[in-house]
Amino acid sequence: MGRDRWSAAGLALLAIMYLLVARRYPLDTLATPGPGVIPLIAGVALLATAIWLLIVARTARPARDVGGLSGSGAAPTRPIESVPVLRSPFVLTAALILYAALLPRLGFIASSFALVVLASRLMGARGWWRPVVLGLGVAATAYLLFARWLGVPLP
Amino acid sequence: MSELFVALTPANLLACFVGTVLGTIVGVLPGLGPAGAMALVLPLTIKLGPTAGLIMLAGIYYGAMYGGSTTSILVNVPGEAASVVTTIDGYRLARKGRAGAALAVAAIASFVAGTFSVVALQLAAPLVARAALAFGPAEYFAFALLGLVLLANLTGGSRAKSLAMVLVGLMLSTVGMDPLGGTVRFTFDLAGAQAGLSFIAVTTGLFGVAEVLASMAEPLAAAAVARVKFRELYPSREELRRSVPPMLRGTVLGFLVGLVPGPAATIASFVSYGVEKKVSKHRAELGTGAIEGVAGPEAANNAAAGGGMIPLLSLGLPFTPSTAVLLSGMLLMSVTPGPFLLRDHPGVFWGVIGSFYVGNVMLLLLNLPLVGLFARVATIPQQYLMPAVLVLCAVAAYSDNNNIFDVWVMTAAGIAGWAMRALDWSPAPLVLGLVLGPVLERSLLQALTIARGEVSGLWASGPALVMLAAALIAFVVPGLAALKGHAS
Repeated sequence: MGRDRWSAAGLALLAIMYLLVARRYPLDTLATPGPGVIPLIAGVALLATAIWLLIVARTARPARDVGGLSGSGAAPTRPIESVPVLRSPFVLTAALILYAALLPRLGFIASSFALVVLASRLMGARGWWRPVVLGLGVAATAYLLFARWLGVPLP
Repeated sequence: MSELFVALTPANLLACFVGTVLGTIVGVLPGLGPAGAMALVLPLTIKLGPTAGLIMLAGIYYGAMYGGSTTSILVNVPGEAASVVTTIDGYRLARKGRAGAALAVAAIASFVAGTFSVVALQLAAPLVARAALAFGPAEYFAFALLGLVLLANLTGGSRAKSLAMVLVGLMLSTVGMDPLGGTVRFTFDLAGAQAGLSFIAVTTGLFGVAEVLASMAEPLAAAAVARVKFRELYPSREELRRSVPPMLRGTVLGFLVGLVPGPAATIASFVSYGVEKKVSKHRAELGTGAIEGVAGPEAANNAAAGGGMIPLLSLGLPFTPSTAVLLSGMLLMSVTPGPFLLRDHPGVFWGVIGSFYVGNVMLLLLNLPLVGLFARVATIPQQYLMPAVLVLCAVAAYSDNNNIFDVWVMTAAGIAGWAMRALDWSPAPLVLGLVLGPVLERSLLQALTIARGEVSGLWASGPALVMLAAALIAFVVPGLAALKGHAS
C-alpha cells in the first residue's frame, strides 16, 4: 500500500469523524437550511473523494505541484523514500510545540530567544556566539516593532 | 479616475516602495513565497490604514514576480514557482556571459506586462463590478463553485487530491460560528475557536513554518552568485528586437490566464514558454539560452498577477493564496472587496490600482541597478534567516486575535503542511477552500431560502445556469478522460 493510499485512508477517517460530530447540527428544511447542511455535504464529498483516491491511488499520476500556487515548492519535491531521515525537523517540531506552551508562562522575549537559538543550532549554525546574537536581535526587534509600535499585547 | 493619484501621496509612495522591495526580496529567496510573506506583514499593514496597507501588500504580491527571475537566471534556483521556466534559458544565457542582458530583459518584460495588465485591470474591474451588482446568492454560489472546480483541475498533479484538499479547507472553514444562524460548530468547547480558525494562523503555518521544516529536511546548498556589473546590463539591439514579440504574446496570454482560477502566474509562464516553442522565429534555440525564453514567461507571470486582481477587486473572490491574503487583509481593515468596493471605498480601489503603475516603475528602477545586491540576498545562510521567519510567523498568528490559541493553530498547520509537502499534497487548494468556504455556505443557504426550498432556484437565472454547467463540464470531462485512460 503506497503512501497515497495511506493518506487517502487518513482522509476517509477524518471525513467519518467529521460527519459523526456534524450529526449534532440540524439540517432543518430546504427552505430554511440549517447549520448542518454544508458540513454534511463537505464530509460526504471528502469521504467520496478519499474512497475514489483509495481505488485509483495505484495508477494515479505522481502529483506535481505545477504552481505551488503558494509560490513555494519551487524545487520539485522528491519522493519521501529518498529523503534522508533527519532528526532535526522532528526536534524543531517538538520545540515549536513547547514554544506555544511556554509562551504564556515565560513571556514572548524569553521563549522567542530560546526558539531562535535552538532553531539556528539545529539548522547547522556552529558555535553559540552567532545564534545568541541572532536570538537577541530577533526577539528584541519583534518586541519593539509589534508590542511597542503596533501595540500588540504580546504575552 | 482622478483618485488614481491617491497612490502618489508620500505615505502611499513609501508603502509602495517598502512593499515592492520586500516583494523583490521574497521573490529572490527560494523558501518563502509571496502568500506567506504577505501573511507575515499583515499585522504591520493594518497599522497603515486600508489604502497604504493594501498598497504595501499588493507591492509584495507583484514585486515577488520581479525578484523570482533574478535567482533563476543567476544561480539556476527559481525564487518563485512562477520563475521555474525562466531557469531553462535564463541560466544558459548567464553561462554564455549574457546574464546582464537576461536580467534586463526579464525586468523590462515584467514592466511592460505589469503596466499593460494594470491598464486592463483599470478598465475591466469596474465593468465586472457593475455586472456583478446584479449577482445574487445563486450566482455567487455558482461562480465560487466553478472557481474551485477549475482550481482543482489546474493545480497540477492529481485532480482528486486537489479536490480533497479543497474539501478539507471547506471543513476547516466550518469551525466556529456559522455564517447565518449563529450556531457554534466544531469548537470542542475551545474558547479560541469560536471565531473560527484564523486564516492568518493557517497561512503562516502552511506557507511559513512548513517551509522552514521542509528546508531542514532538504537543505539547499548555498549558491554562489555571479557578480553582474551595471554596464553589462544593456541587452544588445538584436536581443531587444528578439524580445519584443514574445513579450507581447506573453503579456496577452498571461493576462487571460490570470483571469482563470488557479496558480495563474505559474501556468501563464509555462503556457508562454510552450507558445514560444511553437511560434517563435528562433524556436530552435529555445532551451539553449534564447532570450525569448526569458522575455515571454517573465511577461506572462507579471500579467497574470494583474489579471488575478480582477476577481478579487470586482467580485471579492480570490483564487490564489496571495490574493486570498489580500482579501483577509481587506476584511481586517473593514473594507469589503466586491461589487460595492468601487462605490464605498473609491480611494482604496483606485489607490491600489494606481500603486500598480507606480510600483512597476519603482521595480524597474530598483531591479536594474540593484540586481546584484538582491541576488546576494539568496546567499543569506538559512540558519540565520529561517529562525527569524519562525518568530515572525508566531507573532503574525498571535496578533490576529491577540490569542495563544492561534499560535497553536499555526503550529498545527505548520506540522500538517510539512507532512503534506512530504506526501505530495499541495497546501494551496486547502487555503482557498478555507477562504471560499464561508462564501459558498452563505450563498448556498441564502439562495435556497430565496427559492423557498426549490433546489432548481440555484440555476434559475441565466448566468448561474451557465456557470453551473461550466463547472459540471469541467468536473466531469477530465474525470471521464481519466477513466478512459484507466481502462485502456
